[in-house]
Amino acid sequence: MTEREEILADLIEVLKTVRTIDPARLENVTEETDFLADMNAPSTELINIAVKVEQKFDVEFEDDDIDNLGSTVKDVIDLIILAKNRK
Amino acid sequence: MAVPGRKVAVVGMGGAFPTCTGLEDFTNKLFTGQSMIREWPLAVKYGKQMRSTMCGYITEAEMGLEPVFNPISDEYPETYIDLQNRIPDLNLATADMGSIWAMLGALESIEMAGWKQEETQSEQTAVVVGSGGAGHVILRVAWHGFFKEGRKTRSAGSHTVDRAMVYRDAANVSCLIKNKGVCEAIGSACATGLGNIGYAYRLIKFGLQDRAIAGGVEGTSLETFIGFDGMQVLSKGFTPETSSRPFDVNRNGFVCAFGGGIVALEEYEMAKARGAKIYGVIDEYFNNSDGDGNMFAPSFAGQKRLWKGLRDGATIKPDVVKVHGTGTPVGDIIELLCVIDELGESGYHISAPKSQFGHMLGAAGSVEFIAALQMLEHQKVSPCINSDNLNNEPENFQKTEGWDGPVKPVSEYRHLIPQHTVEKEINQIVCLNYGFGGTNSAIAVSRDV
Repeated sequence: MTEREEILADLIEVLKTVRTIDPARLENVTEETDFLADMNAPSTELINIAVKVEQKFDVEFEDDDIDNLGSTVKDVIDLIILAKNRK
Repeated sequence: MAVPGRKVAVVGMGGAFPTCTGLEDFTNKLFTGQSMIREWPLAVKYGKQMRSTMCGYITEAEMGLEPVFNPISDEYPETYIDLQNRIPDLNLATADMGSIWAMLGALESIEMAGWKQEETQSEQTAVVVGSGGAGHVILRVAWHGFFKEGRKTRSAGSHTVDRAMVYRDAANVSCLIKNKGVCEAIGSACATGLGNIGYAYRLIKFGLQDRAIAGGVEGTSLETFIGFDGMQVLSKGFTPETSSRPFDVNRNGFVCAFGGGIVALEEYEMAKARGAKIYGVIDEYFNNSDGDGNMFAPSFAGQKRLWKGLRDGATIKPDVVKVHGTGTPVGDIIELLCVIDELGESGYHISAPKSQFGHMLGAAGSVEFIAALQMLEHQKVSPCINSDNLNNEPENFQKTEGWDGPVKPVSEYRHLIPQHTVEKEINQIVCLNYGFGGTNSAIAVSRDV
């Protein structure tokens, strides 16, 4: 499993704890999946996802990182890797 | 101003009541004289930090809810799971405990009212629901994380505003039922529950809206309890079931309680035309302030003006007066003597339901209004339990110069304060509630005949 695949698997575990995301929508998640369009998550939920990701991966995002964060799974994985490398 | 001939009916109700499985259980406990007060394990846990531990609390599990705790704190309910699937997760995400009770009460009220979707979602349907306290449970952990632990503002998640804002209960109900009319919250401390119903009544009476979901809630909160415990105003030294004792000579404070009371109001002719069951017709609502600059003390003069205002708007001849009656040393007797000064020494009964479920603060007025509606429905007066002994001596304030109210001791009015449920014809009930800041509110509700 590549690093990105491992992060994706852990990310899906995080998403399973977000009550406002329908678990059925987590079955075929790819890096192209869009939180807002495909998972139908409310935009306010992206902040909660970011916080949970910080806790899960033991990283801290910069405010600008989150301000500029896109809404796809790829965007989040890129940010996790960026934040890990910054540590 | 009021539109002549326009009347307001109560067509539904629901809520959250300590130790009760629902409205039916609540009504049964009310008329069988049961106490809904228990010793609160959460308060006991804090040992000597806490002065009183008696409470009319409601747990998440008792409401069919399960908290989901945020990883930052095992005390922070990030959201709740509705184990009975009554409320969608999206709505639960923006709600604190009180808001969830408000939503459940709204759903029950609408179902009882029999409103169709287009009626509920109309521009003519309002939501007017408030709380006494802030969203303490949500704010405490969010602030602790920021100030004490140096966490980012986002660490408590993105819902601290919607879950803690002043009109969170109204907002959550409105987002759930999707009404298109007014959505507001009235705050008036312990008169909040009745104040919201009174405001909603006026919206309909004045021709601004046709329907309203209205009431007050007070979600279980140790933070709220701590505030009152620190004021040394909570009942102390009694068993749980005997701790709330309005009018009793040995009363020494109120019992802090939590709950929610929501009603569905509708313009009377519209309700009649669709064949709705009418649980009561509101005759009049009036509210005022003491105007004496005193934040806490009850005012005989202020309450006298309250009665005058109520009488100016309708014919007031109640068979029952549902009093605020908290169990505090001064408040109960001032209130009782004011009622006697207005209505005389016989011909009605006093009902003090806080004796059974304690003081629900922002929910008190609305839950007690529901208790009054049940009295109308069942033609029974709920008892004032624990009013075992009434003072044989006049109160000190009755002996002071300038006192112009009744001078007899409370024991002379035993016949007005039933210790057991009374069955009798009840056509009209007056409900009274007061709050910090010297605010007074009164509503008169009658049987539909």
